Formats: sequence, C-alpha cells, structure tokens
Amino acid sequence: MRAHSPLTRRLLASTLPVALLLGPGAGPALADPLIGANLNTRGLPGAIDTPTAEMMPDATLGATLSYSDLARRNTLVFQALPRLSVSLSYGRFDSLEESRGYVWDRSFDLRYQFLDEDPTGWRPAVAIGLQDFMGTGFYSAEYLVATKTITPRLRVSAGLGWGRLAQDGGIGSPFGDRPGPDEEEGGKPNIDQWFKGEMAPFVNATWQATDKLVLTAEYSGDKYACETGQAEDCARAVWVSDSDELKNRINLGVNYAFGDNYQIGGYLLGGQQLGVQFSVAMNARQAPYPSGIEPAPAPVRPRASPSADPEGWSGAWSADPTAQPAIQKALSDALDKEGQVLESMALSGNRAEVRIRNHRYMQHAEAVGRTARLMTRALPPSVETLVITTSADGLPTSSVTLRRSDVERLENTEASQIANAARITDAEPRPGDLTYSEGLFPRFRWALKPYLSTSLFDPDEPFRYEVGAAASAEYEFVPGLVLEGTVRQRFFGSTEQEAPGGLSPEEYDARDHDYDENGVPRVRSDGRMYSANKSPTIPRMTLSWYAKPSDTVYTRFTGGLLERAYAGVSTEILWYPTNSPLAVGAELNRVRKRDFRDVFGFRDYEVTTGHVSAYYRFDNGIMTQLDVGQYLAGDVGATLTIEREFANGWRIGAWASKTDLSAEEYGEGSFDKGVSISIPLGWGTGSPSLRRVGGDIRSLSRDGGSKLRVGGRLYDRVRDSQADKLYQGWGRFWR
Amino acid sequence: MIGTKLRITLGATALAMLAACGNVDSEQGSIPGLIAQAVRQTAAQEKRDEVTATVDPGEMAATALRVNPGPLILVGLESRNTTQVLAMVGENAGQRTYMTKNEQALILRDGMLVGTRGLGHDLSVAELAASSSLIRSGQSGQTKRVMRYWTGDGLESPLRLDCTVGAGPKPGVILESCENGPLKIQNNYIVQGGRVTVSRQWIGPNLGYATIQELRP
Repeated sequence: MRAHSPLTRRLLASTLPVALLLGPGAGPALADPLIGANLNTRGLPGAIDTPTAEMMPDATLGATLSYSDLARRNTLVFQALPRLSVSLSYGRFDSLEESRGYVWDRSFDLRYQFLDEDPTGWRPAVAIGLQDFMGTGFYSAEYLVATKTITPRLRVSAGLGWGRLAQDGGIGSPFGDRPGPDEEEGGKPNIDQWFKGEMAPFVNATWQATDKLVLTAEYSGDKYACETGQAEDCARAVWVSDSDELKNRINLGVNYAFGDNYQIGGYLLGGQQLGVQFSVAMNARQAPYPSGIEPAPAPVRPRASPSADPEGWSGAWSADPTAQPAIQKALSDALDKEGQVLESMALSGNRAEVRIRNHRYMQHAEAVGRTARLMTRALPPSVETLVITTSADGLPTSSVTLRRSDVERLENTEASQIANAARITDAEPRPGDLTYSEGLFPRFRWALKPYLSTSLFDPDEPFRYEVGAAASAEYEFVPGLVLEGTVRQRFFGSTEQEAPGGLSPEEYDARDHDYDENGVPRVRSDGRMYSANKSPTIPRMTLSWYAKPSDTVYTRFTGGLLERAYAGVSTEILWYPTNSPLAVGAELNRVRKRDFRDVFGFRDYEVTTGHVSAYYRFDNGIMTQLDVGQYLAGDVGATLTIEREFANGWRIGAWASKTDLSAEEYGEGSFDKGVSISIPLGWGTGSPSLRRVGGDIRSLSRDGGSKLRVGGRLYDRVRDSQADKLYQGWGRFWR
Repeated sequence: MIGTKLRITLGATALAMLAACGNVDSEQGSIPGLIAQAVRQTAAQEKRDEVTATVDPGEMAATALRVNPGPLILVGLESRNTTQVLAMVGENAGQRTYMTKNEQALILRDGMLVGTRGLGHDLSVAELAASSSLIRSGQSGQTKRVMRYWTGDGLESPLRLDCTVGAGPKPGVILESCENGPLKIQNNYIVQGGRVTVSRQWIGPNLGYATIQELRP
C-alpha cells in the first residue's frame, strides 16, 4: 500500500541550492537552464522585439504591459516547465478595417530551450520558439536563437527568424513559401505556416549595466510593415495604418528593476517610435512567508511510563462509557482552535480514528500532522494506533494510519521519516463504531456579505463592475446532505444587460427561440442577458447529496437552480482509489435554461449534457483531465485540461475543447479554450487559509464546448486529501 | 480573433469588500477580510516588537521568573530587534518546545536550536547531533549539519553546511563555523553541565541570528 519510492524521491528531490535561500541574484546552479531577467515586448526573456534563448526561473508567473504608438500589448507569461515558457498576449493595434478603428487580438507564444549553455566552453544555450502560432496570426513568427554569456554582465544572442521576424533582411526561404494567413475563424494552430517563407537573421545584446539597470540593443527583422503602411511586406493587407516608417532596423532599450518583482523600461524602435513597458513577475516558489505565520502547533505529549500510569496503559478506561464523550469533546475543542472540525470519532483500548474536516490548511498534511499531535495530548496511553481520516465536507476520502510511538519518536524530524512510517489507505465509507461529535448535525451556517464582481478585457469597455450584497445559507442535515443557496441584490455598477446579435435586450427577450443564425442554441453567448438585474437574483440554490458507496467510489446528486443560467438535476460518479494516480468519473445532467430576469422562470431550451472523464496526476504535479461527452449546446466532443499544481496549492492550467460544431458554427476562435490561474491567498499573506484568488481567462461569448457550471464536482472536492496530494504537501507535516 | 470578448472572473465572482456577518468560520471568510486580518496581525506584531524592544530584558526576565514556575529562556532575534521570554510547553525525549505568549516557538535540544515555528521563515529541523556532541563535550573537530526549511513552494528543503567546532578567543566560548559556498555563519556557545546555556545561533537566511539565554533550566 505504500508509495515509498516515488514519495521518497519526491521528498528528497527538493535539495535546495544555497543560492535560492540567499535570494535572487546569487546565480543559478550549473545544470539549470539559462535564466534571463530582461523581458521583451512579448513578455518573454529577450531584448526589445527579438527573443533570446533564456528562460525565466521555473514557476515564474509574470505580466507585461507594453505600449507604443504602433501597438499596445498586455501579456501573461508562465514558466510552465524549467525549459518551457508559455505566454498569452492580448494586444491592441490600429486597423482601418474595424469600425471602431482598432483591433484587440489574442495570441499565444511558446519557447523551448533545448540546449544548455556550457558556462566554461563555447556552447551557447539554444531555444526554439513559436510566436502567435494560432489563429489570426497577426504577429506570427518562428525563431531559432542561441544565447551566450560573454561576461557576467553581457549576453549576446543571434538567431534566425521567420514570419514577422523576417519582414526585412531575408536571406532565402529554405522550407518553401509561406502561405497566406488564416482569414477564417482563427483559433487553430497554423502549422502550414511555421518556418515557411523568408528567413532573416537577428542579433541582440543585453548588458547588465548595474544591478538594477539593463541596456539592450538589437538588430531585428521586424520592421512593423503592417503598422506603417508598407503593404508589400505585410502578410495581412487589411491591417495597414499610417504611422511613420522606422528609419532603420536597430532598436535600443533600457530597463530598470525595482523591488524584487518589478521592471520599468523604455525603447526606441528604428530611431522613430518610442515605447514604454512595465513588468511584474512573481514566483510560486518565493512566498513572502514561506513557512506561514500561523501559530506553532501544540507539541507531542509523550506518554508516562507504564509503571507511572498502569491504569491508562491497561486500556481498562475504555469500558467506562463516559470516557469517549469526554475525550471527544476535548479533542474537538482543541481541533476547533486549529480550524478543523472533528466530525466523528471511534475509540477503543488501543486504536482511535478521527474524521476531520480541514478548513484551514492548504497543504492537507499540515492538518494531519497537527491532528496527530493533538491526539497524543488527548488520548490515554494504551491507544497506539492513530487513524486520521479526512472528511471532504462529508465525503471520507483517505485515512492516514500512524503508530503513536512513531509520532513520539519522529516529532520534528525530516518529514520523509514520518511519511515512511505512515500508511495512507482509502477511507472506509461507514465503519460502525464511529460516533458523531455532539451537536454538530444538523449544521446550519449563513453569511451576509457585500460582493464586487468585475469583468475585464471587454473591447468596448475594458472594465465593468457591479457592487451589491449576497446572503448565503447552508443547511447540512447529516454529513453529505446539504441544502444551500445564495441570494444577491445589486446596488450599483457599470455592468449592463446586453443581448447578442445586435439586438436590444427587450427584442432578444421577446423572441420565441434562443438560436443564432447558424441554428446553434445560444447557451452562453447571451450570458450578459442575465447581467445587471436590479431585483434580487438567486445564482444558486440546490439540494445535494454526496455519498461514498464503496471504498473507492464517490457519488453526487444535485438538484435545483444549478447555476445562473441553468436549473435541473446533475448526477455524478467518481472512481478514485486514494493511492491511484488515475481517477475515472461520469456526469449526467438534465437542465433547462433559466429566465433572464424571473428568478424561478425558464426559457424554452432543455438539454441533456454529460461527460465521461479521466483524470491522471503525474509525479511532478502535472494533472491532466480528459472529458468526452455532450455539451450544453448539444454538441459532442472532448475537453483536454492540463494543469500544473504545486505543493503550496498554486495551480496554473490551460484547456481546449473541440466539438462537432464546425468552425463556422462556433464562430471566432473556432473552439473553446482558456487559461486558469489559482493562487492560494495564504501564499501571499502567510496566514493559512483555503481561500484562493484567480480565475479563468476564456472567451465567454461562445456556445460550443460549454459545460454546465454545477458546484461541488467530485474530483475537485476530494482531490486535495488523496494520497498523491497529501504526499506532495507532506513537507509541512511537522509545521 | 478580432474583438473576442474576454472576461476574468475574480474568485467565485463575488469579492466581499466591507464588513460581513454570518456564522461561517473565519477560515472561510472574505478575501479582503483575510487580507485585512493579516495586515492587522503584522501591525500588531510590529507594535508588540516595539513594546518589547523598549522593555528592559532584565526586568522582563525577572517578571517571567516570578509568574512562571517552569523552564524559561530569553531570546533575542537580532534581525527583528526583539527580545522575548519563552516558556517551555512540552518536552519529548530531550527535545524542548518553548513558546511565546502569541504562540511562536523555538525548539531546543540540550540548548542547541533545532527548530522554530510561527516566525514566517521557520527552520523546520536542524540535524546537528555530531556538532552538538562536540560542542557539549568541549572538543574540537570537523562536522556537518543539515538545516531544513519550509520554502515558498510548500516543500521542506535542506541546506547542508560543513562546520568546524573549536574553542574561541574568549575563554569558555565555543565557536562553530559553518559554510556552504558563499554562505558563512558562526555560532557561539557557552556550555554548563553538558548543555548549552547561553548562545548566539543562526536560524536561517532570513531570520539571521538569535541569542538564547537559559533563565531557568
């Protein structure tokens, strides 16, 4: 049952270089990829417009705002793996084609460093990159680049660029002509264009003048042909503008770093156009309070010797019916101070099992470690076997079994020692001897809070908000059977009710169907019809029943107003053995579209939607999920999600859905895709909490590949306390 | 992808801003509430630090000895310019946990610092049995120690140090000089009755040195 070898590997693999402990600037270890600190206008390490072969430190999440007369660009970048950088840009440039006079365009970049620099020899670091490689490809370019450290302060890069990086200075087309750009719905990788057409060399140098100041210079093949009206060199004729042509192909830049996380800079393009840039970067590995500032745990209380406490060691106390209630009450109170709920407990002469709900610690192992220590303080000495079972809000997931003598012997030692002495097994659904803590059920909780909801990146109005009050209540009859709901009242804000397809909200509401001109049901693209309701709304009101019919199977039944736009019933089943990296689930829903205004009213659209899902977690924290099934619009297809999750709870992921809707039926973007970021609040504040901040960046307005947004999905509910996640965060057992 | 409408939804779309009420655990309270709480904690911490800095350590020690019958230590944290009395709250096989009133802890073994809790940049565990036996027996020699820290990524990561133990220039003071690459630290100890009673020990890169004095064994 033990996962020792991968576990020990994982726990031991984390040898920390002194450099990291001493903070940034001390230089990376030799085997690491070449790290660059200067970000270019595409938000990746580089000079100004040209790239370098450098990477950012693993797990860095950054954002860059770059602004010049020729383009504005906002970029989100993530060092997904030590050698793989990914970025998502959202750029605005003038276009005569749009009635509003400009275009907002999304683009994705990738860069992979496949060759390390040899710091003592001649070999440079070498990387390959794809720029704006999907969809409309306004900025599409490909490159191969080598970077060499000349002196500790000077790095020089040289490379070959295609596409936009070869608008000028081309030296031939080794791989054939570059076909025209995608003029259709976009959103698909433009494989036919990659590395095609003219190829042009570029060079750049970055000079670390002082610790804070970086000067850059480059010779670039990007002459901004499209922006400056040179139609013959612009791949897309539609995009000409009338800015002045660049005088030459030399760009100069300066960047100043302040604080640990910020850069501000300026650049001059071709002696003609000035630009400014601001970057912020943070790293999942560098928290303000890495160990957290939560209070110290109560230490282990070692047992008195058998001769000093013969009665306690005999186990005779267990015959006393008042013993367990008293112990359970004391333990429950102590756990309560730790942010944990003692749901139930089983106690015999030599074994104790507690079922806890962890409401405080992002790394579940910390909750287990603290509970184990409290058990040594509360239980009579004859109890040797300690079982700590996690109840994921009513669903028993995993049981950690420890010998009390191991807890005593290994207190405050390297965490892998207690990991090797612990056993993690599937929690038994209903052991007969469990006693619920007194007065816990039925459990009623409520809250009345103000809310602020915001929406960003709308091309017409980049920031909208709404402020109001939300009342929520939750009534749990017995563990797992929950009635819950939320009522919201808007007070004020700038969000508005809007209809798709150029109609007014009244016209849209009055139509007798919810289909667009291609016959695709509008399941999400009319989402703003639900916005800005001046009367109270009920975003959610459900009765849910969570159960665990066998050691490895979880089920959910949810009925009611499932989300803002749909009501109905949702059922789900999940097979997830705790020591298995693989979980398989299925979900089936029958839902009806809710009225835009009337809280309990419905529209005339009903659908059956559901998926079969497989989830797989790799050892390195990479989680993949594949869903296959029927989506809300009745389209059939699959969604692939890839996510990197850190022990501290950071999650960065991306997903894409492809269904049998044609690209035309789907519309702009061709298929649904997006990026999700979730950062634990406690990582930033140091105070332990399960709260997260972040969100999804997605195209909301499309109908294909849309899923029901039902709450309490099983995998999300149980994943944090399964063995692999417990082991990933096991380092905090003694925290 | 011209004119694609993007939207970021923050948290669960609802971000509470002002005071909220209800019987939901504070752990599940609003995000701004939690941030405000964290700020208050930090501010309170600083205030406490200021107060303790102005109190005479001798007076503080005398008061603590009067009101607390158990083992006590007086600890100065140089990087934070604070001095506090910590009382022993547990002892397990020679390992003693001392805590401040606000539940920050130092863990000592025979007076040697082996862990901290609740300081934000805590030392999870220091493995220093070899150093400890040399220091406490007054011998000199070469040893190694491993100091493990919680890092921002949620893991426990070791820092390995090569150390030299020997008598210092001042009589009765034993020095332990350790290094790993550019990192060089030096701990000082005074040993009485086989345990360290007064010392200046390095906790870690962020917290720096602590002076630890035994008030009552």
